[in-house]
Amino acid sequence: MKSTLKREEKESCSCSRSTKPSHSEASVNLSLSLTFHSTSPNRERRQDWPPVKARLRDTLKGRRLVHRGDESSLFVKVYMEGAPIGRKLDLCAFSGYESLLENLSHMFDTSIICGNRDRKHHVLTYQDKDGDWMMVGDIPWE
Amino acid sequence: MNYFPEEVIEHIFDSIACHKDRNSISLVSKSWHKIERCSRRSVFIGNCYAINPERLIGRFPSLKSLTLKGKPHFADFNLVPHEWGGFVHPWIDALAKARVGLEELRLKRMVVSDESLELLSRSFPNFKSLVLVSCEGFTTDGLASIAANCRHLRELDLQENEIDDHRGQWLNCFPDTCTTLTSLNFACLKGETNLAALERLVARSPNLKSLKVNRAVPLDALTRLMTCAPQLVDLGVGSYENEPDPEAFAKLMAAIEKCTLLRSLSGFSEVAPRCLPAFYPICQNLISLNLSYAAEIQGNHLIKYIQFCKRLQRLWILDSIGDEGLEIVASSCKELQELRVFPSELHGEEDNNAAVTEVGLVAISAGCPKLHSILYFCKQMTNAALITVAKNCPNFIRFRLCILEPNKPDHVTSQSLDEGFGAIVQACKGLRRLSVSGLLTDQVFIYIGMYAEQLEMLSIAFAGDTDKGMLCVLNGCKKLRKLEIRDSPFGNAALLADVDKYETMRSLWMSSCEVTLGGCKRLARNAPWLNVEIINENENSRVERNEEDEREKVDRLYLYRTVVGTRKDAPPCVRIL
Repeated sequence: MKSTLKREEKESCSCSRSTKPSHSEASVNLSLSLTFHSTSPNRERRQDWPPVKARLRDTLKGRRLVHRGDESSLFVKVYMEGAPIGRKLDLCAFSGYESLLENLSHMFDTSIICGNRDRKHHVLTYQDKDGDWMMVGDIPWE
Repeated sequence: MNYFPEEVIEHIFDSIACHKDRNSISLVSKSWHKIERCSRRSVFIGNCYAINPERLIGRFPSLKSLTLKGKPHFADFNLVPHEWGGFVHPWIDALAKARVGLEELRLKRMVVSDESLELLSRSFPNFKSLVLVSCEGFTTDGLASIAANCRHLRELDLQENEIDDHRGQWLNCFPDTCTTLTSLNFACLKGETNLAALERLVARSPNLKSLKVNRAVPLDALTRLMTCAPQLVDLGVGSYENEPDPEAFAKLMAAIEKCTLLRSLSGFSEVAPRCLPAFYPICQNLISLNLSYAAEIQGNHLIKYIQFCKRLQRLWILDSIGDEGLEIVASSCKELQELRVFPSELHGEEDNNAAVTEVGLVAISAGCPKLHSILYFCKQMTNAALITVAKNCPNFIRFRLCILEPNKPDHVTSQSLDEGFGAIVQACKGLRRLSVSGLLTDQVFIYIGMYAEQLEMLSIAFAGDTDKGMLCVLNGCKKLRKLEIRDSPFGNAALLADVDKYETMRSLWMSSCEVTLGGCKRLARNAPWLNVEIINENENSRVERNEEDEREKVDRLYLYRTVVGTRKDAPPCVRIL
């Protein structure tokens, strides 16, 4: 995915095709990347319209949640190594890691674990805001 | 002419604070002019390039309080290069050299350096109050100088500034003997805050009425601060917190309960929604609530809180409150005077069902009889709604409507919004400030010129058809002081029709319009008392003077009256004709 986002936005949002840690052939990685909104890549991000001041602009850029009425959603893109097409899902729709894994396994038709790497399974990883690749499952779901 | 000795007249003048009145007084006679100018304590300069420091000091030697404004308003929206100008240093330098007894300095959209702040802090022994709004160019080192050297500092109010945060110890620089603070606002600082130093400072400031902290102050620290400052009237909160544990929440609520004088609340830039209920104990006392940075709090939580703020006079909120939320505000907040609704989605990425429409605006106009100022960002509007609003609220003095999509027509009739805005200007006889948006033809400007007799400031974007529009405004609005126009088809004919008009105005801004270099040159020739500035972002694109095409459209034009001629500090991207 070619990112058309500006530099500031890149800090909290990662490009999902960045370099991945190297593994032996048999083990592959799933990766998650946080993105903001699903905009068409051609949409221009004007800095002078609408007429809002910088502090509000920055506040809105730094938002973690997208609000839709009463619900929140946090959309992420998931890629499986070796497959060029990704899938998109709403993290807020899951209650915990188990249901997330179950869904992803189903979506990608493979078995996935988070935590210890096993040569025969996919491993779920994500890229945090510092750009580091991390294992999913270390921090509490909330 | 004078029946009283000078001292008596001066004494009478002392009770007149309003700038306009004092300006009028000074025109009565030579002796009144002299008495007035020698006794003048407070001066307001709306455009720092209209006059220079030497003439200011020459006329008002007893000056104690100075307000200066620099960049034009559209600088707030990235339309003016950072290096454009508005430097405060020459002012502070001149005031220091003349040993003016400065006590108060308020700056808006000016460039302030650490050196300026250092000089300020050392030059005026009685300095009490520094208010910086939308300024830039300084760091926390400059704040450290102010803290360290201003022995009688009462007010340090930093609003929406771009401050380089060196994560230093500026709060530590307030000496232990500093106990006079009444107002401290550093909400716009982005870095870490020395919490211990802040707590000590607050604890030794018994007169502290206003405290606005930045997001680096977590809720447990806030609890401690409020516990030692229950006399606070104005509080700015802000720190990301996962749901606070019940004990922390209870402590916070207990501290807030004791703040019975609290009337104004703001901040909440990174606060989890479940922290808002901690502020329930004081909600019925609030007269001012600014939740416009509370991007993490959903509409339903906002509504739950606001509906109990029965005495609210001022509300700044994000459009995530929705039309339904505004309907609840309309039925709960009967004392509301000023409302600002800001967009929570800047580029319309998601289909934002929670954004506000004309429905919310009409509800507010119907429910809040004291409403006089509104800034409303919305995704759609209708003439019918605006006509209803005008009927409900003839008392508007400020009406600013921003429909997010440029040129958007009435979404029901597909017509322009001329009639709607026409109704507003016709009904609101006291209207002083207006911003228009949506699909608009020259007709709306005919209405504005005809009816907006008290209008002082007008903002136009993506509107109008021909020069006639701008001409109607310039001819009709006798009290117009500031006109700012962007992306509208007004050109040389309108610009040049009445050059003398600009002497009655503070400034004119035109960007992405149809005015040409030739037109601007002609204006500058005919009006030597104006500074006519052409702003180009890319100075490398300038061709040789004798090759330049006078028919070339000017990207950004800014002109203003001045008594001190061309300024000498313009950067390369600014050309003064």
